[in-house]
Amino acid sequence: MNPRLLLFIAFLLLQTQAFAQATIRGKVLDEKGLPLPGANIQLKGSYDGATSSQDGSYQFETSARDAQVLVFKFLGFKTQELAITIAQGSNEVQPIELIEAITEMNSVTISAGAMEASDASKSVILKPLDIVTTPSAMGDIMGAFQTLPGTSTVGNDGRLFVRGGDASEVGIYIDGMRVGNAYGTTAGNVPTRTRFNPNLFKGTFFSTGGYSAEYGQALSSALALNTKDLSKRSQGDLSLMTIGGGYSHTLANEKQSITASANYFNLGPYQGLIKQEVDFEKAPNGWDLEVAAQKKTGENGLLKIMARTESGGMSLWQPLPGTEKLVLVDLKNNYSYAQANWRTTLKNDWMVFTGISYSNNFDKIAYDSLIIERKSELAHIKGTAIKDFSDRLSAKFGVEHFIHPYSEKLVAEGWKRDFKDHETYLFTEWDFYLNKDLVFRGGLRGGASSVSNEKWVDPRFSIAYQLGDKGQLSFATGSFHQLPLENFRVLNTNLENAESNHLILNYLFSKEGFTFRAETFYKSYDQLVTFEGLPDDPKELATNGSGYAQGIDFFFRDRETFRNTDYWITYSFVDSKRSFNQYETQVQPSFAPKHNVSVVIKHFIVPFKSQIGASFAFNDGYSYTNPNLDNSDMNAKTKSFQNLSLSWSYLPKPNLIIHLACSNVLGRDNVFGYTYSPKTNSQGVFESIPQGQVAPRFLFLGVFLTLSKDKTANNLNNL
Amino acid sequence: MKKSILTIALSFILISLAQAADPAFIAAMQKQLAAKATIETFEQSQEVTNGFMRIAEAAESEWLPFYYAALLKTEAAFRFDIDKDKSLDEALELIKKAEKIAPGNSEITALNGYILMGKISLDPAGRGQTMSPEAMQLFGKAINLDRENPRAVSLMSQMELGMSQFFGTGPEKACGMARMSLELYKKEQAKITEEYILPTWGKTQADQVASKCN
Repeated sequence: MNPRLLLFIAFLLLQTQAFAQATIRGKVLDEKGLPLPGANIQLKGSYDGATSSQDGSYQFETSARDAQVLVFKFLGFKTQELAITIAQGSNEVQPIELIEAITEMNSVTISAGAMEASDASKSVILKPLDIVTTPSAMGDIMGAFQTLPGTSTVGNDGRLFVRGGDASEVGIYIDGMRVGNAYGTTAGNVPTRTRFNPNLFKGTFFSTGGYSAEYGQALSSALALNTKDLSKRSQGDLSLMTIGGGYSHTLANEKQSITASANYFNLGPYQGLIKQEVDFEKAPNGWDLEVAAQKKTGENGLLKIMARTESGGMSLWQPLPGTEKLVLVDLKNNYSYAQANWRTTLKNDWMVFTGISYSNNFDKIAYDSLIIERKSELAHIKGTAIKDFSDRLSAKFGVEHFIHPYSEKLVAEGWKRDFKDHETYLFTEWDFYLNKDLVFRGGLRGGASSVSNEKWVDPRFSIAYQLGDKGQLSFATGSFHQLPLENFRVLNTNLENAESNHLILNYLFSKEGFTFRAETFYKSYDQLVTFEGLPDDPKELATNGSGYAQGIDFFFRDRETFRNTDYWITYSFVDSKRSFNQYETQVQPSFAPKHNVSVVIKHFIVPFKSQIGASFAFNDGYSYTNPNLDNSDMNAKTKSFQNLSLSWSYLPKPNLIIHLACSNVLGRDNVFGYTYSPKTNSQGVFESIPQGQVAPRFLFLGVFLTLSKDKTANNLNNL
Repeated sequence: MKKSILTIALSFILISLAQAADPAFIAAMQKQLAAKATIETFEQSQEVTNGFMRIAEAAESEWLPFYYAALLKTEAAFRFDIDKDKSLDEALELIKKAEKIAPGNSEITALNGYILMGKISLDPAGRGQTMSPEAMQLFGKAINLDRENPRAVSLMSQMELGMSQFFGTGPEKACGMARMSLELYKKEQAKITEEYILPTWGKTQADQVASKCN
């Protein structure tokens, strides 16, 4: 066949088309009737179309005729279609109003009480990497959170204390599943750490109050840690530290990945070199094994499994006030944790999540000749479903069941007491966007416990409103229940929930590189546990305690002003009083200092391939009871707490990091309270021992090496 | 004779409708590519991006319209004063769509890595550690998929140059790759005809790396 002839025919066809062009013109507007430039207009099924210009108008030519469909598209807006009839010549189309779609990106989010640490979130409070690079944190998740507003540093405890609440008032979750005994067991004044390695997590959600109906059994705060999705590549990670070492290996492909790790630590050699204030018989030591696996299921599903087991202990000589005597405290701990969860999206905008988790904690504590064994287990089964009815309305439904056995035993005497609780929860939460600047959230959480034999319901409500381009105002309120501590419940299984009500008002301002946050709150406490006697031998347990906490906190973070420098400043004021434990009148708890300040600065020095960091924490002192002053409780306050920590991270090669950190560089002798002898001495004075630090400073040196079969390098060699 | 001409003409039309690379598609692509070469403002960039998106809508089985739309969003993030992260995220979404149509395509994989490079440049301290290996892996994969793809090699040389500058090692590896990519660009140049609508961009960047080598 002659190709020229074909070309001629094609030419003819094109010619006829060219003769028959019709013009389409019109205007695209937004909801307010203002011109909307940049929208994409297209005649369905053809290449013909145009983009709306600055005045919202558009115009294009087409050879199509008669009944056609015009499609209006613009990212972030709802697509609209319009049936038109095209005639020869000029066709004027009616103006079209595009409606902005409400998405996570463009809409207001509820920020009352909430602080999200993820790479994706709009406002940067904390980034996942900050957890490992905050000098005072020493690689502990809680250490990083202690630099955030609403928290207090209690240096001899190490746990997270939020807004006048004790450490048990923070509920810790991994992938939505409750973690039992998330902190390591400790003795004396040795601060504890989180059991979980920060490298496991891709992001965290930390709430200092007024949190979602999805979480409960925490009067003050919910901390939700989200594990990493699929690993990107296979690699080995070796760590060598002054206190131990470990190795972790990851195998990954596009569908699944698995990481196995083993770690060992022993503070013995370190303590041999650097003198400690605590008289250790056997330095803190331990090992752990962990496996975490991720697998894609179907189009959108992800299955995650994690299992971990660890064992550790320490033994130390504890002084008794008023005597020369020392008591040997010996601690052994075994802990296992396992969980599996699966999430997937279904048809019709449903998303489902199911999970199961189990933790088992065993402590054996020898106090002189007294040997106590404690065993706590927690099994958690959970299912949630989320339905997006539209971009304005979504609902979450969930059901949870907990099985919680606890026992404690005096080994020599053969005495044992225990309880086994079953708790069931139902919750639902509804988000309604009136428009993208105003959102309401209402939630309801109902629970029942078999041991305390009670049922309760917690309503929660929050609202957020966009103020201008970069600011937003949020308000949250709700009621929160929490069952008493295990060691109290085992003595009196009738003890019912304590209750707290929150009121929170929050202002958040964020723009590229800057975040400012101010929050004020009031919360009430009721039905707190009270008893006669001292905490190590409580009698007449009841829930007669009550109290309040109120205050305001500020947070400012700036990554922009100074080159390669990132810093944040936090100030939290808490005024808290409660009657609880042995305190019959309302007193300021020892764990709730009034003024709390934290400053963190990080600076990257490019020529030295180094990041240097400094963090400073301050509070105005911890309250304690001094029986030498008068009979009243919490009648004294320690001197202020101050801690300046420095760190230096050096990256000589892409796969090698050397990290050096020192806490309390200035060696301040921080005191967290005093222990008094129960009886006066011959001068009529109660003798005391300060509860101080384990050592003036803690020095850490670690070398972290990543080994990977670098496919890219291999590729290059092959070229 | 008449009848056979008609048959051929009809089948020609049918084939052109059925075939992916029909002249109308190529003509539409060429029009947008010509417009792409003259972009100077963000509005113009948006207009051309929309043009490619219309082609993507009408020619569902083609990966190139999505590819160029993603490339435009990436370049817009580098060139104009806009929400850079948002533009790059949108580019990533478009890459996913292209990938679905043409899985295992070297050009798409290389562009995916290029977008990650853009994301890294916005927050090197926060993202470098996790995203740099990811970008390198994508460039490596792109090279494996097509050893003649100059962009994959050139982009990798840029990453290598950045790393050698940071870690103070010599630029030899980056230079070798830049030279190699320039060779590949030369080869590609020979293939380019009037109808050529496949990617050809990136030589200037390779030249820039090569210029740091002497």
